[in-house]
Formats: sequence, structure tokens, C-alpha cells
Amino acid sequence: MKLRVLPFETRSAAMNMGIDQAVTETVSNGAPTTLRFWRWKPSAVSIGYFQSLEDEINLEKCKELGVDVVRRITGGGAVYHDYDGEITYSIIGKQELFPKGITESYHEICGWIVNSLKKLGIESEFKPINDIIVAEKKISGNAQTRRQGVLLQHGTILYDLDVRKMFSLLKVGQEKIADKMIQAVEERVTRVLDHKKISMEDVYNALLEGFTEGKEFEHGELTSEELERAKEVAETKYSQREWNFMR
Amino acid sequence: MIMKGKATEKIPGGKLITVKVEYEDVIKHIQILGDFFIHPEESLQLIENSFLETPADEDREKIIERINNIVEENQIEFVGITSETITDVVKKAMGE
Repeated sequence: MKLRVLPFETRSAAMNMGIDQAVTETVSNGAPTTLRFWRWKPSAVSIGYFQSLEDEINLEKCKELGVDVVRRITGGGAVYHDYDGEITYSIIGKQELFPKGITESYHEICGWIVNSLKKLGIESEFKPINDIIVAEKKISGNAQTRRQGVLLQHGTILYDLDVRKMFSLLKVGQEKIADKMIQAVEERVTRVLDHKKISMEDVYNALLEGFTEGKEFEHGELTSEELERAKEVAETKYSQREWNFMR
Repeated sequence: MIMKGKATEKIPGGKLITVKVEYEDVIKHIQILGDFFIHPEESLQLIENSFLETPADEDREKIIERINNIVEENQIEFVGITSETITDVVKKAMGE
């Protein structure tokens, strides 16, 4: 597998989703397998393809705190993407380059994350269906889609997380943000910073190393065609009520 | 009179599924929501549509068979969800 590695960038929710879609289309037409690490600014909540935005997200609170919302093209759950709290990745390549079985392909790609965390001295493991755990606590969530002969997997690696803030944005915590509930989540989730005091840049470097190990790769940029298409769908799809409130 | 129902279930070792349904003697509207995965994603629409105008008290096995047929014909893959759980949550949403 030869990879094109895009620069570690920060963009809006709609643009990040737009880039994933644009690259999926070009990879389908022969562009190289593409790896990208990115952050969300403003911070955002993404929901899974099959979720209801209104059921999952406290929209008023998001508005108040300037947090974006977007529907993903992948299934899975609602995720709070804090600008300072996580690194997101996407790997986009022809389906035949990955195991045919869905769990097997999650296992392979999540293995790259396990490998990266190991470089930071953090022992983790893949937990089906789509999580990575450190001593039974979730550190990474992942989601996959397959379309036009292309496999797209994106996911997040938790670096830091304000559980109280997350709860205020998601409807799960609507009733009452009880300390007990926060404690329960704290017990299920873990972050890189809980294990090692390092900068986000160092986490990125470890991820880059872990994902590319044993593979041919070169650093590249989005083509102007991809960037234009990403902007187009960011505007006409991922910023629109029609898409975000679809279910 | 159209009745409305909603049910949610966490599938053991799987995902969360919520069904919202409107029905009288037949199902008039249905939405299947949750954090599961279906490939291709758009095919959930086919499954939802297959419930429309079917009897609200339709036999469980018959529904499962119908979903399984759609899955097979359209090469759909379920992850964290099954035809059985969809059926059970639909039934639960209608108070069964």
C-alpha cells in the first residue's frame, strides 16, 4: 500500500466532511490511498449517519458555546470533537487493499493506532466492533463506510476531554449532569494525557509513524480539484439542514 | 386514529437502536435510528419502506424473513444490528 499523506490541518466540520467525500471520489477514480490527520475548529459534534440530530444534540448549548454540528457519512454514534481534545484521522483507499470483512478491516486499521500508541508507551487493544481500549477504557472510536469501491475509515484518538462540556452538548446528559454520571463516563473513557504528558504535536508524530510503518508513503497536498469539490459539498451538503437534519 | 410509538434497545455486544413508528391497523411511518452500521448506508431506506402499509400485528417471523430478503437481494451488510433486533424494537414501539 502506497500512501499519500496530507498535512496535519485544522478545518471546520463541514469542510472536514467535504474533504473526506471529495477524496473518496478521487480515490474511486484512481487517486492514491490517502491518509489525513486533522482537527476541528470550531469544536464540533458529529453524529452518525443513522442518528437524529435533534435526538442526540443539545443544539441550543452548541450555539451558545459556538460548537458546530454535522452529520457524518458513516454510521456510529455522536462524538464531541474538541479542538484541544483529540486528533481525527481518515484513511481512504480502494476497497481491495483492505480485508473484505468489516471487522477484519477495522482490526487492521485500528492496529495502526494500537501501534502508534505503543510508540508512546501506551498499551492498547482493538475492541470490536469499532473501539480501541486501554485497560477496558475507550481511547479511540472509529467508523467506516464503503462506497464507489472505496473504503473510508475515520476515527478519533482522545488526547484530552472535558466530560462535563461533552455532556452539556449531547442529549444523554440533558436530564441532569450528575456527578455520578460524569464519574461513570470517566471510568469508561481514557485519554493520552492520562498516560503521558506530551504535546498534541508529539501524538500526531507518533500517529504518523504508526500509520505509515512498513508502508511506502509520500507527503502530498489535496489537488485543486479535490479542494474545490470539498468546498462545494461543504457548502451544498454538510452545511445544509437538509443533510444534517435528514433523520 | 393514528397512534405513535417509540422504543429503544441496546443490543448486547452491539449498538443502540431506536424505532419511531406511526400506525393504525397498518404502519404509516417508521424511522429506524441508532449508532449501528449498515453498508451501503442508503439501504436502510429500503428496509424502512418495506414496513409501510404492512399490518401492525404482522407475524414476527414474516417480518424477519422480509428484511433478510432485502438484505440478500441488495447485498446489504449489518454491523451491530440484526433483522431480529430491528423487528423486536419495531414490535416494542407498537406496545408488543
